Amino acid sequence: MSNLLKKPAVRWGALVVLVALAVVLPLMLPEVANDTIARICVFAVAVLGLNVVMGYGGQVSLGQIFFLGLGSYVTAYGATNDWNIVLTFLAALVLPAIAGLVIALAAARLGGLAIAMVTIALPIVGLPLARRLDHWTGGSQGLSSRFSDAPEWTGLYHDQWQLYIVLVIAVVTFVLVRNFVRGKFGRALAIVKENEAVASSMGISPYWYKVLSFTIASMVGGISGFMYMSVVQYTSPETLAFHHSITLLAAMVVGGSATLAGSVIGGVYFVFVPVLTNAINPNLTAMLQGAILLLVLFLLPGGLASLPRRIAGLRRSSGSRPGAPPREEAATRAVQKAASKQPTRKADQ
Amino acid sequence: MAARVTLQGVNLHFGGVKVLRDVSFDVEPGSVFGLVGPNGAGKTSLFNCISGHYRPSSGSIRIDGTEVRGSRPSHMASFGLARTFQHPALQLRETVLENVMLGAHTRLRGGPVAWSLRLPHVVRAEKELRGEALRLLEENGLGWAAHRRADELSHGLHKGVELCRALMMRPGLLLLDEPAAGLPHSEVEQLIDTVRRLRAESDVTIIIVEHHMGLIAALTDRVVVLDHGAKLMEGTAAEAQSDPRVIEAYIGKDEADAAS
Ligand SMILES: Nc1ncnc2c1ncn2[C@@H]1O[C@H](COP(=O)(O)OP(=O)(O)OP(=O)(O)O)[C@@H](O)[C@H]1O
Ligand SMILES: [Mg+2]
Repeated sequence: MSNLLKKPAVRWGALVVLVALAVVLPLMLPEVANDTIARICVFAVAVLGLNVVMGYGGQVSLGQIFFLGLGSYVTAYGATNDWNIVLTFLAALVLPAIAGLVIALAAARLGGLAIAMVTIALPIVGLPLARRLDHWTGGSQGLSSRFSDAPEWTGLYHDQWQLYIVLVIAVVTFVLVRNFVRGKFGRALAIVKENEAVASSMGISPYWYKVLSFTIASMVGGISGFMYMSVVQYTSPETLAFHHSITLLAAMVVGGSATLAGSVIGGVYFVFVPVLTNAINPNLTAMLQGAILLLVLFLLPGGLASLPRRIAGLRRSSGSRPGAPPREEAATRAVQKAASKQPTRKADQ
Repeated sequence: MAARVTLQGVNLHFGGVKVLRDVSFDVEPGSVFGLVGPNGAGKTSLFNCISGHYRPSSGSIRIDGTEVRGSRPSHMASFGLARTFQHPALQLRETVLENVMLGAHTRLRGGPVAWSLRLPHVVRAEKELRGEALRLLEENGLGWAAHRRADELSHGLHKGVELCRALMMRPGLLLLDEPAAGLPHSEVEQLIDTVRRLRAESDVTIIIVEHHMGLIAALTDRVVVLDHGAKLMEGTAAEAQSDPRVIEAYIGKDEADAAS
């Protein structure tokens, strides 16, 4: 089945079907389903940003929700002040990126757990700040804006229009981040995460790459904030509460860190699991979520995204596995095998 | 461009521990230079000083006349320096090919935006790099492993992959830390051929730390023997092997080891 997916024709076919579904489904699904999918898109992008700095970059960040919150506030502010929508989007992306850059420039120099510590402070400082700066943020009341209502000419319902908006943004963001974490920058981030001494011997400055991944994570967080505002049409200090950051982190781990599929699963987790645990017993929400996290960490350290690979691995290990370096005769066999077998790391596409 | 390396009075202290004491030597451009000495003599520490991972307490390290002491390690690639590590550190979950391609990092143009958009020149550069890395692996007898995950390979092969990764940097100065450690005899022979070929075909200065005296004798023009962080002698490999002080340093060490 995974071999089937690697045929270009099958891939293109799958892509066409997916695009068709993305166009048609919002028109057919009930409002609540559209709204849920839209929220999943929002948080999938937020988790994707976290994955850039943490999954791929290897730095613990507990502040991702701050950048989502900042993006949502910038969007709300722009929308209520009748900024051009493109300008608003750019501001919701650039301002969190600048904030992230400044924070990372200072924190990455300290090394070790400094970034983690600083990022804990972000939502903790951000929340009272959002309350206090009521001239911009509307204080505890928050800001609401219906800028993402469907325009008359589309003939669409609001939920359909909003879902289209966030789908397009999510897909573009995922594609760009996917490109970023491959190739030159992917290799550099991976080695900085793995071994800084080796990274620097390759001419890669761990400091600058930490700053870079943190900045991009903040920018992607800002994008998710714009998406959040498009779907929810309301933001308040509660949006950037610290416990959401923890849930984002759990969502990333449960989904699978350093994978794109894991980010999508993380979005699903973020939208459903708190609701689910709340329904079971509101007093036990935190405990139940902790239990889920532990369960995944123990049973599937790679997260749910690693499940297909895990199953394939189990199936393969019942056969023989060539581990030893081949001698001359074996080498030709290995070449044939290598030619027929694709590299395994492409599994997260 | 093969680099000249000049060390003058290099000292390295960790707290009260003197790891290197007043080490000086000069490595001719294009030569193969050996660095030998018993365990704990300070060979790896000396490499770390040259590659910027350690900052010497005093002294001077020059590459082609430019003082590099105190430079950041990530800056040393711009002086044409590449190195391998005594304990190879590959990315085990990546393919061998990806590991080798990492070595060309500084040669790849284009910033985050260009790479995120996969602009045509970026795609082309990546493709060319892939071809180059494959060729390099093939030249070093590792072509068959290119698409294997690094953790499927033996320790000895990791050394080979790490050497390829360093060569992808097209270095003018190559530091090899115990490249033959743990290799079976046949692979040591292969390594000797590889270094000979490198020397003949590429314009590079090579410094080798190695306990394998056969390899040192076969490859090096000159050697420096370190003992307890100080330079014991300098000369050809043959001179080092017959020098009573060197023999004593090794045997004394062995006796101390046996006693402890
Ligand atoms: N970062 C460090 N902090 C403290 N001491 C160190 C450090 N690095 C090396 N040393 C000490 O310096 C001495 C020399 O170590 P080094 O690794 O350079 O030896 P070596 O000649 O490479 O030995 P080997 O042949 O075993 O690799 C050792 O006593 C070691 O404990
Ligand atoms: Mg050593």
